[in-house]
Amino acid sequence: MILVVAEQRGGALNRASWEAIVCAQQAAAGEPIAIAVPGGGEAARLLAESGVGDVLSLEHEALAAYSPDVQVAAVAQAIALTTPRLVVMAHTYQARDYAPMLAARLRAPLVADVIGVKGSGPSATFLRPMFQGKLVAEVSPQGTGPAIVSCQIGAFRADAVVKGAPGAVRVVPVAIDAPSRQTVEAPFQEARQAVDLGQAERIVAVGRGIKAQDQIAVAEKLAAAMGAEMAASRPICDNGWLPMDRQVGSSGQTVAPKLYVALGISGAIQHLVGMKGSRTIVAINKDADAPIFEVADYGIVGDLFEIVPALTAELEKPR
Amino acid sequence: MTRETLEVDVLIVGGGPAGLSAAIRLSQLVKARGGEPLSIAVLEKAREAGAHLLSGAVLDLSALKDLLPDYEALGAPLLAPVGRERVYFLTEHRALRAPVIPPPLANHGNALISLNQFGRWLAAQAEAGGIDLFTGFAGQEVLLDGSRVIGVRTGDRGRGKHGESKPTFEAGVDIHAKVTIFCDGVRGNLTKQLHRRLAIGAGREPEQYAIGIKELWEVPAGRIETGTVMHTLGHPLRHEEFGGGFIYALPDRMVSLGLVIGLDYHDPVFDPHVAFNRFKRHPLLTRLLDGGRLVRYGAKALPEGGWNTVPRTHLDGALIAGDAAGFVNSVRLKGIHLAMRTGMLAAETAFEAIAAGDTSAAALAAYQTRVDASAVRRELEPVRSVHQAFGHGLVPGLLYAGAAMVTRGRWLPDLQQAPGHRRMRTLRWYYGIEMASPAASRAVPPDRLLTFDKLTNVHFSGTAHDEDQPVHLLVHTEVCSSICGPEYGHPCTRFCPANVYEIIRETGAAPRLQINASNCVHCKTCDIMDPYGVITWVPPEGGGGPQYTGM
Repeated sequence: MILVVAEQRGGALNRASWEAIVCAQQAAAGEPIAIAVPGGGEAARLLAESGVGDVLSLEHEALAAYSPDVQVAAVAQAIALTTPRLVVMAHTYQARDYAPMLAARLRAPLVADVIGVKGSGPSATFLRPMFQGKLVAEVSPQGTGPAIVSCQIGAFRADAVVKGAPGAVRVVPVAIDAPSRQTVEAPFQEARQAVDLGQAERIVAVGRGIKAQDQIAVAEKLAAAMGAEMAASRPICDNGWLPMDRQVGSSGQTVAPKLYVALGISGAIQHLVGMKGSRTIVAINKDADAPIFEVADYGIVGDLFEIVPALTAELEKPR
Repeated sequence: MTRETLEVDVLIVGGGPAGLSAAIRLSQLVKARGGEPLSIAVLEKAREAGAHLLSGAVLDLSALKDLLPDYEALGAPLLAPVGRERVYFLTEHRALRAPVIPPPLANHGNALISLNQFGRWLAAQAEAGGIDLFTGFAGQEVLLDGSRVIGVRTGDRGRGKHGESKPTFEAGVDIHAKVTIFCDGVRGNLTKQLHRRLAIGAGREPEQYAIGIKELWEVPAGRIETGTVMHTLGHPLRHEEFGGGFIYALPDRMVSLGLVIGLDYHDPVFDPHVAFNRFKRHPLLTRLLDGGRLVRYGAKALPEGGWNTVPRTHLDGALIAGDAAGFVNSVRLKGIHLAMRTGMLAAETAFEAIAAGDTSAAALAAYQTRVDASAVRRELEPVRSVHQAFGHGLVPGLLYAGAAMVTRGRWLPDLQQAPGHRRMRTLRWYYGIEMASPAASRAVPPDRLLTFDKLTNVHFSGTAHDEDQPVHLLVHTEVCSSICGPEYGHPCTRFCPANVYEIIRETGAAPRLQINASNCVHCKTCDIMDPYGVITWVPPEGGGGPQYTGM
């Protein structure tokens, strides 16, 4: 017997579960395959319809949202019920989270991130990458109990799944004895979109000449008056005065706005490669020999703390 | 945390000329014997083979001819045979040509190469011989069982700035080997651990180093004949500073030029990069470079101490070859052939020891016997104290070198010299005054056509590191503003050729050291030259570093 643990979220089956089934089918030598679906629902029905094996819908209200403790308890019960030789799952974020705990709980070997199966039946071995894929290790799980295998996403082709006659879903209520040690919070939301300076039409960039973090406000006022995005050269972001995603240059973003205003930026080549494609470059710097003036269309040699407020005031005048 | 382990027969750390020659020689021996193959792995921290290799370079073909006799058919990238040879003594404005070429500098029969290209070619030969080359993996730590070297731990990947593991985290792997051959280059971080933990330098002279700064230029047609090899002494170095320049004319109007400077100078505000810029402003160079274009920049330390400074190179379960052990002839300015030769001899020794089932230091001592019987000793022993003689100044150095040539090293005293970083004088000692923030001595502002600032130069080294990783330069920063500033004026900001060290002076706060680790070109100068020995270079995440195309 091989047990596949499928993954679903809000009833929708994770596509990678099909790949885990393909992996199981390759490793099986005519053995039956069962599929456990923690949380059951629509995903369980879909799997039963495809006839890939007996479908066990593991049900408990705590399985509505994923937490590792509950997941391990539920899957362990499905394993106890089916006594499989192999437990196969896709190497998803969930599997990375709970598979080691499950393996430790059952004292079972875990072969993670498998990219292929060699042979089939009890003598089958599993291939997994080492050294960032420079070597492939051939792993043979040892021991008498079940071995746990997680397969790398995309390593098995979901469309290679062998389907059969539709079957029924067997509902397996699971018992969760101990309360989960994890509290489930609202699902993670994608963080605020990182700033894409590449799209900005106007950019005000500050460099070392700004001298102190609290003086960045001087440049920010100018940026606000111009409707420009703020950017910076490396030292500013290194100091944490502006976030890393505002850095322009070889280790930051490459930009080509219509207008690029460089304040107190000397123009190290590492910065220039990130902005020299700008249509119009304005540089304000105390040092007349600064290399920024070699790429600037307009340059002002002087103290930015005098010039910038004057520029801002002029721009803010009602027209 | 449990780590993956990998068992191999021979582990070679470092994919330079020594390591790759060892690998190729092993694959040849295995093939000749037949039967059970040996598992052989080579670790290389660069993303691709050869990317961290930098040298002049003029190659003495002797070792290559023995390693791969059909090197020409195999397409060895020898760029040009050495043609016209010149040696100059430079004053600030003039170049005095030596009437004869001193025999150690005679290069007839040798070939101009780019060590980067040559290394890449050697790697291809090794891979064709069935060797596993793990590029992008640095050896982080020597694994010892008592005094026996049992292998190497590779560096973790995917650690963030503060050492935390990122989603891409992958713990380093323990590679266990019957024999580990350390070819981690000049001031190799693992060989340094062997010095500390197994005292392999006990009873030997202290190592001596130099820094080489090099640029590759494309010059207008007709400036110099391909194959021309020039060496210079004198300007911009003073008599108290050891070193000299080189200019090699490669095909396609490319010129390789550089300055090598002993890392045993006295002047605390001496800056090797400033000296390099002054070298380029000499008329001999400006005539060549005017109207040309900088293509690549790089820097690397080189071991110069010679025969008496080579540490114990055979240990229980390990051998050391190439620059890591200091097999360089500083009089001939050559080490690649010695690296290759010692790599080959190490491979032969390891092969025999594994076949005999005894890889103890006693069995591996056959390496020492082989080196002693080889051209390596014949070449290095006569000139064993030349670098140390230059420690007394240019003229005594030249006299000693001449005497060594005439007598082939016989009857000459073994000279000693303290480690170079201890020869740096304090500001008060050297200048007799205190200085708050001294400028580099004799600096000239870069003109951005011929001469550049360090940051611009770093750009031309192609250096890149993942920014979000722990700083790979471990510095006891508590000495910076308290002792080092007043005594030496923060020499790290000057001897580093890549602007890694910066002193930030903010009003109301003590000067603070900022380490721009991602600029590091892996030259190891800071690890060698800082006067207190408080800088330790450890490998950054594998794959990071310079990209020395054509260097």
